[in-house]
Amino acid sequence: MSTPLTTVAWLTWRQLFARRRGWLAAAIVVLPFILTFFYRLGSEDREGDRLIFMLNMNREVVLGVLLPLTAVIFGATAFGGEVEDGTLIYLLVRPVDRWKAAISKYLVSVAVTIAVMIGAVLVAWFALRTEELPFAVPRAFIVASALGSLAYCALFGYIGLVTRKGLVIGLLYVILFENIAARGFEGAKSLSVREFAVSLAQWAGDGVVKWQQPGVSMTTVWVVGSIILGGALALTLRKLARYEMAERL
Amino acid sequence: MTEDGKRMTESGKRMAESGQPAPSVRVANVSRWYGNVVAVNDVSFALGPGVTGLLGPNGAGKTTVLHMMAGLLRPSSGTVLVNDAPAAGDTNVYRSLGIIPERESVHDYLTGWEFVRACARMHGLADADAAATRAIELVEMTPPQHRRISTYSKGMKQRIKVAGAMVHDPTILLLDEPFNGMDPRQRVHMLEVLRHLGAQGRLVVISSHILEELNDLANNILVMVAGRLAASGHFREIRRLMTDRPHTFRIRSSDDRRLAASLLGDESVFSVELTPDGLMIRSGQRGTLTRSIARSARDAKVRLHEIRPTDESLESVFSYLVNR
Repeated sequence: MSTPLTTVAWLTWRQLFARRRGWLAAAIVVLPFILTFFYRLGSEDREGDRLIFMLNMNREVVLGVLLPLTAVIFGATAFGGEVEDGTLIYLLVRPVDRWKAAISKYLVSVAVTIAVMIGAVLVAWFALRTEELPFAVPRAFIVASALGSLAYCALFGYIGLVTRKGLVIGLLYVILFENIAARGFEGAKSLSVREFAVSLAQWAGDGVVKWQQPGVSMTTVWVVGSIILGGALALTLRKLARYEMAERL
Repeated sequence: MTEDGKRMTESGKRMAESGQPAPSVRVANVSRWYGNVVAVNDVSFALGPGVTGLLGPNGAGKTTVLHMMAGLLRPSSGTVLVNDAPAAGDTNVYRSLGIIPERESVHDYLTGWEFVRACARMHGLADADAAATRAIELVEMTPPQHRRISTYSKGMKQRIKVAGAMVHDPTILLLDEPFNGMDPRQRVHMLEVLRHLGAQGRLVVISSHILEELNDLANNILVMVAGRLAASGHFREIRRLMTDRPHTFRIRSSDDRRLAASLLGDESVFSVELTPDGLMIRSGQRGTLTRSIARSARDAKVRLHEIRPTDESLESVFSYLVNR
């Protein structure tokens, strides 16, 4: 049974996979698998090596690069794609509460990002799985990716709605803040979604996922993460509720 | 009666049986500015059932007015009421209002059918499929309805947009430059559809920068120039104002001075000015003047090299209406 909101979600889904974004998602899923392939080609594969490789790859590549990249692509496109294409008007002139439409679009972008991350983590784990790589490992990174997706998609969704350069600004944010500032400055860590995801992986890892360097405390993760998520979502809902089709003069 | 006519008559009957009050739009002292730029300046009008043309050159503020009527823009000052309720801030206004934007962008990755059905579903219609079929038939897009919109011509995109806006049977329909990209046959068909909608008692507003597009369609014309309402009235009245305005011609001939002397006696000529570029002649009767020029030149034995109207641009026509 289709309702106005499921139709908004369906339109968002179709939009997210238009313009070859489906291929991008497939490439993101396959990349960790390719890295495991090269690992198996070049490694002596001593005991414990697989766990170390898997933890490092998931931390640096999946949580550090692929998660924010996927969230930028799908989070910013969920709103920004419609603004850029000029199709947002077809959503705004319906008897659908705009805040509900915004939540629908946000949830679809989160669902797609999580699905891509699950694929990326599981395919790599499946390629290397042994007894020293229990399911707790991929599960920890899936939980971390899922919670990270909530914050990232809210953040990038808002950026996509307020600027036509959402993708570029999102990528700059990922490179400059998440991967340079948050790695170099202690203070920036407590604002970094990537650092939150790393701590979440340890929290959800049943003792199998352990980092040598202390990450952000779980209290910081929950409190600051909730503020980022709630703040970005509130701004997105407010922006869409007041959105005006201003002519460019 | 044509199939379109029958379909629209059925739709009109449904409208009459529903006992809804007549649709209305009231715009009172509305201004809208962006920073220091005034897009619409103190515009007031009231519209009822029938087709109204919103005429003006590009940049006159037509789209801004349409967007304010559709609740997509809030006026900086003044009020816009749709069926006696504020246009902006309540999405329920869209149950009785449809808008076709000027930009041709539609969801290119959908088929025409998917787009119109999605529009119907977002309106929560009980039988969205039937409504989509009806709307697509109305704009004669049934054969290509299952093709992706990215493969449509500009005119086909316009028509599928109209279907999307009509799918919920709105009593108020706002169309921004709807004839852009349509070929003559499609244009005639769309004119017929819009005329029927107006005759059914719907309120239809069509923006255009070409007066002739609104010929035989919109009885009521609002002319906007530089953000202001320059004139309003019946199509014929606006047509007359535009035709009877003073015209200026530049004439180059073998002997400008002798031709000027000959033309001064003509009652259709307001003034004659000798300039380095030739004669500048102002007249209130364009048709009479063009005949007089030829006659005077022949009588004065002057050879005409060039006759050029200097004020035929849309902007000059419209600015005459503002300054008259």
